[in-house]
Amino acid sequence: MQRLSEPFGSLIDRSQSISFRFEGEQVSGYRGDTIASALLANGITTLSRSFKYHRPRGVLSMCGQDSNTMVHVGQKPNVLADRVMIEADLEVRAQNYWGSLENDRLAMIRHVSRFLPVGFYYKAFYKPRWGWPLWAKLIRRVAGLGTVDLTTPHGYYDKEYLFTDVTVIGAGPAGMTAALEAAKAGAKVLLIDENAKIGGTLGYARFDGDGQSGRKTLVDLVAEIANEKNIRVMTDTVCTGWYSDNWLPLIKDNRLYKLRAGSLVVATGCYEQPLIFHNNDLPGIMLGSAAQRLIRLYGVKPGNRAVVATANRDGYGVALDLLDAGAEVACVVDVRSNPPEDEMSSALMHRHVPVLVGSTLREAVPTPGGGGVRAVKIAHLESAERAARRYDSFACDTIAMSGSYAPAAALLHQAGGRVSLQDGSGGFSVHDLPAHIAAAGSVTGTQSLDYVLAEGQDAGRQAARDAGFEVMSASEPRRTEPKASAWPIISHAKGKDFVDFDEDLQTRDIENALTEGYQHIQLLKRFTTNGMGPSQGRHATLPAIRLAARRTGASLNETGSTTSRPPIGPLTMGHLAGRSFEPVRYTAMHFRHLERGAKMMPAGAWMRPEYYGDARNRLESIAAEARNVRENVGIIDVSTLGGLEIRGPDAAEFLNRMYTFAYLKQPVGRSRYVLMTDEAGVIVDDGVACRIHENYFYVTATTSGVDGVYRTMLWYNTQWRLKVDITHVSASYAGVNIAGPKSREVVDRVCDDVNLTPEEFPYMGVRRGHVAGIPALFLRVGFVGELGYELHVPASQGEALWDALIEAGADAGIRPFGVEAQRLLRLEKGHIIISQDTDGLTTPPEADMAWAISRKKPYYVGMRSVSIQEASGLTRKLVGFEIADPEITQPKECHLVIRGNTITGRVTSVVRSPTLGKVIGLAYVAPDQAELGNKIDIKVDGGEMVQAEVVKLPFYDPDGERQEM
Amino acid sequence: MALKPTQCARRSFLYRELENSGARFEELNGSAIAINYGDAEGETAQARKLGICDLSSLQRTGFKGWNMADWLRLQGVVLAEESNITSPQTDGTRVARLAPGEALVLGDYQGGGALIEKLDSTWSMESADGCYQVPRAETNFWLALTGTEAPALFTKICAVDLRDQATSVHSVVQTNVARLNAIIIRGGTAEVPVFDLLSDIASAVYLWRALLDAMGEFGGKPIGLKALQDLT
Repeated sequence: MQRLSEPFGSLIDRSQSISFRFEGEQVSGYRGDTIASALLANGITTLSRSFKYHRPRGVLSMCGQDSNTMVHVGQKPNVLADRVMIEADLEVRAQNYWGSLENDRLAMIRHVSRFLPVGFYYKAFYKPRWGWPLWAKLIRRVAGLGTVDLTTPHGYYDKEYLFTDVTVIGAGPAGMTAALEAAKAGAKVLLIDENAKIGGTLGYARFDGDGQSGRKTLVDLVAEIANEKNIRVMTDTVCTGWYSDNWLPLIKDNRLYKLRAGSLVVATGCYEQPLIFHNNDLPGIMLGSAAQRLIRLYGVKPGNRAVVATANRDGYGVALDLLDAGAEVACVVDVRSNPPEDEMSSALMHRHVPVLVGSTLREAVPTPGGGGVRAVKIAHLESAERAARRYDSFACDTIAMSGSYAPAAALLHQAGGRVSLQDGSGGFSVHDLPAHIAAAGSVTGTQSLDYVLAEGQDAGRQAARDAGFEVMSASEPRRTEPKASAWPIISHAKGKDFVDFDEDLQTRDIENALTEGYQHIQLLKRFTTNGMGPSQGRHATLPAIRLAARRTGASLNETGSTTSRPPIGPLTMGHLAGRSFEPVRYTAMHFRHLERGAKMMPAGAWMRPEYYGDARNRLESIAAEARNVRENVGIIDVSTLGGLEIRGPDAAEFLNRMYTFAYLKQPVGRSRYVLMTDEAGVIVDDGVACRIHENYFYVTATTSGVDGVYRTMLWYNTQWRLKVDITHVSASYAGVNIAGPKSREVVDRVCDDVNLTPEEFPYMGVRRGHVAGIPALFLRVGFVGELGYELHVPASQGEALWDALIEAGADAGIRPFGVEAQRLLRLEKGHIIISQDTDGLTTPPEADMAWAISRKKPYYVGMRSVSIQEASGLTRKLVGFEIADPEITQPKECHLVIRGNTITGRVTSVVRSPTLGKVIGLAYVAPDQAELGNKIDIKVDGGEMVQAEVVKLPFYDPDGERQEM
Repeated sequence: MALKPTQCARRSFLYRELENSGARFEELNGSAIAINYGDAEGETAQARKLGICDLSSLQRTGFKGWNMADWLRLQGVVLAEESNITSPQTDGTRVARLAPGEALVLGDYQGGGALIEKLDSTWSMESADGCYQVPRAETNFWLALTGTEAPALFTKICAVDLRDQATSVHSVVQTNVARLNAIIIRGGTAEVPVFDLLSDIASAVYLWRALLDAMGEFGGKPIGLKALQDLT
């Protein structure tokens, strides 16, 4: 057990013990522990296996910045064990092994690693071509990260918008002072940090010999922030990218926040860099900051005997912390030949820890099995890139390394800022930041704590001013010397000196790629996949730049960097999808349909009854509903039909231009068919126009077409500027169509102010009156070919209308019918359905609807195109067909009409008519096939050809006696 | 005997949802409105925190057209010069100017709307040249979202900043809520906001359920008209 006593472990609550399982074994930790800290506290150092060579891996950064600690939690793969806190009964499994974590059969790959350089798969598997599917299967089995469980239930994810004057990303010392300064100016500040508590390095790092100054600063700043009402703090929150105008996606738990910030302070700090030496990936080898986090945040001693390797002052602080935690420090290895003395080096000297200056690590010696470190070989540096052959060996179980720092500048990059790297010194700076963005702290290269705090204040003031608040002028940012030197990168003859831990890339892999000519940093990245793993090059990009610069002789800045794109961190599909908002529209009678057992179907956003009854008897139900309309009386909910009110002195002229028919002389109290074409003469919608007043038309449109019709109308009248108002009232009115020979009788029972006789209310008439006391617009229309009334009433009274008609028609045998029965009935009557019997090219003459075109008016939308087509001749025509032979296979919609070797058309609608006792349908055919009595051949399922006869439309009641009775 | 919504010809599209939440109904404007859910005192407190109230039974109408402003002013209506501002009228009615040529008229929370009745009875196709009635009572269902947590609720379903500092009392926001077009009117007081929300009547059930889901984390619940009246 490696657990330390207080005051170590500021994030854990020792009073709450929590048990979970790792690889099937019971493990216990404390509330506040991450999975990784709890495992390390229990002496478990190997958390997973690497991507390519299946090497055992343990903690590297201890803050979710690498892929070493990716584990499977429950059904979720690739969970960062050093980020996610333990919960009771958590089921955690390691990833990327075949067999067991300790004995991974795929670890044998390391024996053939010399045959697997980067890019080998580009060269090895593409010939012979038939072999690739086999290789792909094998590679996919052994590669990849984690396993997706396709049975995982949907999680509840959602989204939220946030608005602030000033957003500060990163609640370390710079971020905290920036937030306080902006808040003091009156700005509402959102302070975001990816960790469980604010404080950043103040919570774990060491800034002086006795380690007190950082902790005191932290206590003071935390207290000040808690008392500042203008600051909202969001911890455990990751900003995954920067988008235009400071639009920032934030991830916290299962929620994606969409933040719009007036101004932004980026105080994201920097990434400590690993050193590169043979076996630098063994469990027990970690960043210096990881060792400090384990000690200070989680109260876990990283090991018993440590070697600290450093290129900067911070390594001395790590060594002191290890000593404070009770570990033995075998030595400190400083790559600098002449490091400056300061209070930390003095403190270390007083504690008798040897410091080997001008030296570096050459090799870590693994324990048997490779699951840990037992010693390290240290060599003197002869130059920046060359180590002596002679080495000293130190026994240890832990290596803490603090190479240098790379800025966590992805957000700044995405916003257009630039980072300059200083050759030789390990330092860097940011510049060219766009307006309303400031940067502060170590992300800018500023290192000394005092200067970091001051730079945060400057950035806070600037951000407040950018957000429109009055503040003192910001002072110039301070600059200090970089605290690290460029650590050496020396290839090891035996390899396994990893540059990129995600992808198992060694220095020789990078160098081989450079030798092959991939010297541009972008090409180098793509050929080697360096920086393309889950940690996105946080630890791998800088060494690759340095290796490339060394090979080409260019400076670091000339070599450049790769492009940073969102998302910066892992993002689940659940976060992107969020809570699925899928609006659905119900008619006033929707629940009445459900009560009657309707099978509902979508029609655009609406739900409509397809038919009523059991799905096993679907066809019988539809036929029975249709039969009841023909013989008795049926009622259908037509509330979803589009409705538009066209009002104004130019209303008739407007319709005359929008539709193909003529409307100027349409009498008040009458309805007329409307057919709309676009500029190409293509049919786009139809309906009826009811003239209610000289200046008022109520126009219906198709359910799915009305929104487009409305937009089209507005678009044209913006140009025409006619005195007309167009109002979309589709949802405002509920509608029913009551049809059948007994429909007049039923409506008459509940209507006493409209004379329903055919003489007073003829076919295509329009009246206003009441049904069961409900104000209604009466339309005599005949889509299904029977006597019928379409009743439109205020939506809020639609259900009451339905109830009244069902009750009034009970004696007459009324029953509702659905969309399918309506389709059948209209086909018997030969009516087309727009977008079923027409397509994106159909013109009125092709659809045999030239009758709906007025030849006496000067213009309608599409007129010129229709005229051209009429003059040049048709290439197809819609006809009715029938098949009398009941034995013949029934065609289906979209089956082709074939003549010889030529496709001349297709079936658009077809049904076996229960009324007529034969198969009837509509189909496009060649114009010379359209003559009545012609035979057409239709290719049905299985390739069989069936013959149909072209017949006159409508199939049913050709003289319209039934609908006009 | 308790009133059932189906005893009235006019029915809120939400009446089943309200019944399922235990609403008690009273008749108002020929329709059943949820007056409370059985806990009048608790609902008043709920309204101050986060409540949702179906106001679909209350009176409302609309007018649009190129002469809308002239015609309404001729009827004595106070109308804002700028769009997206609501003007309170002397009888408690509010007139929200949605566009240069469009206005929405809302009755008060008591169920009244003398101005609406006057406008509806005065308007006719013959008399209104360039100003046309819009059947708002049938086009839009109407909710009130009340309480100090209401702005936080909106951040989950609406991209517009409805916090006090961004949206003042009487301002109108025409936006998208849970992927539906909606009109939001900021009312109430600086301490306790009330947001009137009007949206597609056919989508009422969808949005009601989406809002209840979104308000769950804030402890939001349905409240009756009485609690809203007490609040305002």
